[in-house]
Amino acid sequence: MSASSIFAFFAGNPAIIMMVGALMCIATPRHLASPILLIATALSAIKLSTLGLGEYGAITLFGEQIVTLRLDRLSRLFAIAFHIAAALNIIYAWGQKDRAQNFATLAYPAAALGGVLAGDMITLFVWWEIAAITSVFLVWAPGTRATYVSGMRYLAIQVLSGVLLLAGIVLIYRETGSLAFDFVGLRDDATGAIKLSALVMFLAFGIKCAFPLLHTWVQDAYPKSTISGTIILSVFTTKLAVYALARAFPGTSELIYIGAVMTIFPIFFALIENDLRKVLTYSINNQVGFMVVGIGIGTAGALNGAVGYAFSNIIFESLLFMAVGAAMFRTGTSKATELGGLYRTMPLTMTFCIIGALSISAFPFFAGFVTKGLIVDGAGGVNIWVWLTLLFASAGVLEHAGIKIPYFTFFGHDSGKRPKEAPIGMLVAMSIAAVLSIGIGVFPEPLYALLPNQEQIAGYNPYTAYHIIEQLQLLLWAVLAFAVLVLIKWYPPEIPSTNLDVDWLWRVPGRALLSWASGASRATWNALWGIFAGRIHALMARIYAMHGPEGQMARSWPVGYMALWTAVLLGFVLILSFLG
Amino acid sequence: MNLAEQLPVLPVIIPLVAAPITLLLPQGRAPHLWATLISWLTFAVSIALVAMVSDAGVISYHLGDWAPPLGIEYRIDMANALVLALVSGIGAVVFAFAYRSVEREVDPRQSTFFYCAMLICLTGLMGVTITGDAFNIFVFLEISSLSTYALIAMGAKSDRRALTAAFNYLVMGTIGATFFVIGIGLLYQATGTLNLADLHDRLAGQSNRMVEAGFAFIVVGIGLKLAMFPLHLWLPNAYTYAPSAVSAFIAATATKVAVYVLIRFFYSVFGFDFAFVGHAFTYVLLPLGLAGMFIASLVALFQDDVKRMLAYSSVAQIGYMLLGLSFATVEGLTASLVHILNHALMKGALFMAVACVVFRTGSHSIQAFAGLAKRMPVTTWAFILSGLSLIGVPLTVGFISKWYLLTAAFAAGHGYAAFLIVASSLIAMVYIGRVAEMMLLREPPSEGPYAAAKEAPMSMLIPMWVLVAANIYFGVRTDLTGDLAVRAAEALMLVAGGAP
Repeated sequence: MSASSIFAFFAGNPAIIMMVGALMCIATPRHLASPILLIATALSAIKLSTLGLGEYGAITLFGEQIVTLRLDRLSRLFAIAFHIAAALNIIYAWGQKDRAQNFATLAYPAAALGGVLAGDMITLFVWWEIAAITSVFLVWAPGTRATYVSGMRYLAIQVLSGVLLLAGIVLIYRETGSLAFDFVGLRDDATGAIKLSALVMFLAFGIKCAFPLLHTWVQDAYPKSTISGTIILSVFTTKLAVYALARAFPGTSELIYIGAVMTIFPIFFALIENDLRKVLTYSINNQVGFMVVGIGIGTAGALNGAVGYAFSNIIFESLLFMAVGAAMFRTGTSKATELGGLYRTMPLTMTFCIIGALSISAFPFFAGFVTKGLIVDGAGGVNIWVWLTLLFASAGVLEHAGIKIPYFTFFGHDSGKRPKEAPIGMLVAMSIAAVLSIGIGVFPEPLYALLPNQEQIAGYNPYTAYHIIEQLQLLLWAVLAFAVLVLIKWYPPEIPSTNLDVDWLWRVPGRALLSWASGASRATWNALWGIFAGRIHALMARIYAMHGPEGQMARSWPVGYMALWTAVLLGFVLILSFLG
Repeated sequence: MNLAEQLPVLPVIIPLVAAPITLLLPQGRAPHLWATLISWLTFAVSIALVAMVSDAGVISYHLGDWAPPLGIEYRIDMANALVLALVSGIGAVVFAFAYRSVEREVDPRQSTFFYCAMLICLTGLMGVTITGDAFNIFVFLEISSLSTYALIAMGAKSDRRALTAAFNYLVMGTIGATFFVIGIGLLYQATGTLNLADLHDRLAGQSNRMVEAGFAFIVVGIGLKLAMFPLHLWLPNAYTYAPSAVSAFIAATATKVAVYVLIRFFYSVFGFDFAFVGHAFTYVLLPLGLAGMFIASLVALFQDDVKRMLAYSSVAQIGYMLLGLSFATVEGLTASLVHILNHALMKGALFMAVACVVFRTGSHSIQAFAGLAKRMPVTTWAFILSGLSLIGVPLTVGFISKWYLLTAAFAAGHGYAAFLIVASSLIAMVYIGRVAEMMLLREPPSEGPYAAAKEAPMSMLIPMWVLVAANIYFGVRTDLTGDLAVRAAEALMLVAGGAP
């Protein structure tokens, strides 16, 4: 490989262009960081737009052709969304001085982008691990002991996902002899049995995708980051996993049920959660659940819906995080009990937040609406329970993200705080995201033109009377439910403690039930863990006794013992040879 | 007679002749410069040999023009050409690196002898690798071992325990060499030849007690030299108390050469026609390799002395090599050969980083590493990058090794071994992580013996980073080592008579 072809190889990959930009801001003066990052993102976007669909950057590794860059309809959609999200975040955090954070602000999106563009499993694995390592800097960014510990937990889980992925890759390579990253499928076509290789890879994706029970790292790590850090984190890891699932496991029926559970369970946690950033992290799980269901259904329409929903979700989920982040930036808190009444002095932020809320709740003419219908329709074709689950979950989205977030931040009880409007960088980023959210809702055609299955989407019109009525009914019932709940509690609007009343409803009885359930499960868990931990401690003590500095395995043995060992082994090998 | 014809003998002759000349040089810089020059020359010749073998195939050189099997033959194929390049390459780097480290850790009156012994050690290791004669292997093995005993004992200036470590190694090494020579004697009685290729031909079909006993003695003798678990007991002390430069050199070369000899006897001398070879693979190398991987890694986990930790880690890594070659497939043998090369690169760099720390703090206890990221950032990052390579992170050579090993394990139907390989890499992550955490996250001490540490001198940093860079370069350019190793493995398999 000559020097110029190496250069062409690197400069040809948008992800590497981004990564170079991220590396540059480590070495350049701090005030240049934001412009450098934005320019790198723009260059990368230009490179992406000049590349036609196809495969690039092929190199030979272990005697196998690997394709470091594959641009097809599926990967292009995610690549574009990642560029938009990266640019929004850079603008939002304009003027950020922390070098480590500036680096991670673009290095982590670059890694996710590289993963999405990877045409083979080795390249995917490399970017997968880089994404894990670069993102942990964002968790660590506040620099406290708590974030350090939670960052280590986060890193351990992400690296575990990487190790599983590598194991899956090796197993699949053994089976198929190919390193290309394409459809894998959980089950063997002939026998219908679950393949071990696919299962290992499936679990690796599942961890990053925050499948139920594998999801705790999201709530553990994300809300502990800085304001801008949380926004960046919210976008990439889970969506990279969604992409990987859409590539390797479309139509895997297990995903429908996994996804359905994902849409439901975070709602309850989100309703009783006081920290609004944490509420939003639960909504990540819920939103990704919709995508996972769509991938599991696997029809052309549902897949279009899943990835299209991922695209618009990246924008409006960021918008919500940004609005809450702006409030936090000005007031220093994201707790529902300490916020409220900010609409007086932060009207622009409030407007953007409501646009985000309407989008995530899938109101007609907002971004969520135009693709969610595809998933829900697909679910109707599976069975009635999945369909009902998704409907219920949609209502739940409205309750926890659509109403709770703007209500407690900007309305609700008056916290007495009168902060200034958000800084200009944040406003610009939020307004772009808001325009995109409405734009996609009103003019969905450009997004439809990017979807992978064009034949399916060609004649699709989201604004049929049926869709609009179905969705509005759902939303209005949900709003009504909220209003009734407020009314039953003799909601007196002029008393600022209202939201505590409303709070009470989902806090006291709801929490009593939940805390009983969680207490019971905790007790069971503690009992089980106690036994397990006891075993582990005993095992570790035994390992230490054997291998610790004073243990038999680590001791400096007298030379006679060494010679004895030699004799024993010689005897063994001799007998073995004679028997042979 | 032109130079190209005589090239195969030069890697042995150059350091052998240069070693006594060192003693005539005045104390001070001169012996070091001389030895470094010689090591570079040897490396250059070795690279030329790799190129020659790559183009022309196997080279056979008749010493003194006496035709084999009576005369001594130097026989260079791809497998030993690679090991030659490795040993002399590590030599070239470590010799350049050694000066300041030796100045501090070795009695100045002995420094001339030190470089002389290093050159003799290099001669021995090159000789073992290059020769095609069984008795010649024994002679060179003893040349390298005897000089190593002396070199380890020179660590006595810093720690008197170096003397007992050297003595124990002397006893064990001699037992190993004796077993080996007994084994060769038995084979000689059975066949009447000492030439390896000739031995292979004449042994064919001769499965009698004499050959079987010879095989057992050779396996155990070499097993001792390469520190096969549980015959590794001499190694931790020897590596810990030797002067740091010596640790870096022998950790990267001596055991690797012994593994090469084992491969040579298994594949080129005995071959798969003998049932006992298969038994030794299945019942000795495989279980002991796995046991070594785990037990030694666990021991490394609890060590508070970083050099000792790396020493145990070496025992574990030798487990990987034994595992690879015990699969008796091209993939397994490739994995083993690749790991011989790669492990030398990473362990060499790690021991050199520790040498830098010892140079500045005077200690290789883990306490001496506290907060070094602030005081010795260049050294710290060299340690961390080579540590990542040891763990097997992508873009480093360690990943290449692990990849070949994993595919080989699956191909050979030992899926559980693949699981164990990954698990023991995770243990490596923890013990390297312990040191990295110490260096990166602890505050540097403001008083006490380690407070004055500052960055190591350039003469140490540059050679160390050459090796670190090699860790990355060969991790990206997999075609260089990988392809040559595959060719070497295929050639070895062909002679051994296994299914390629």
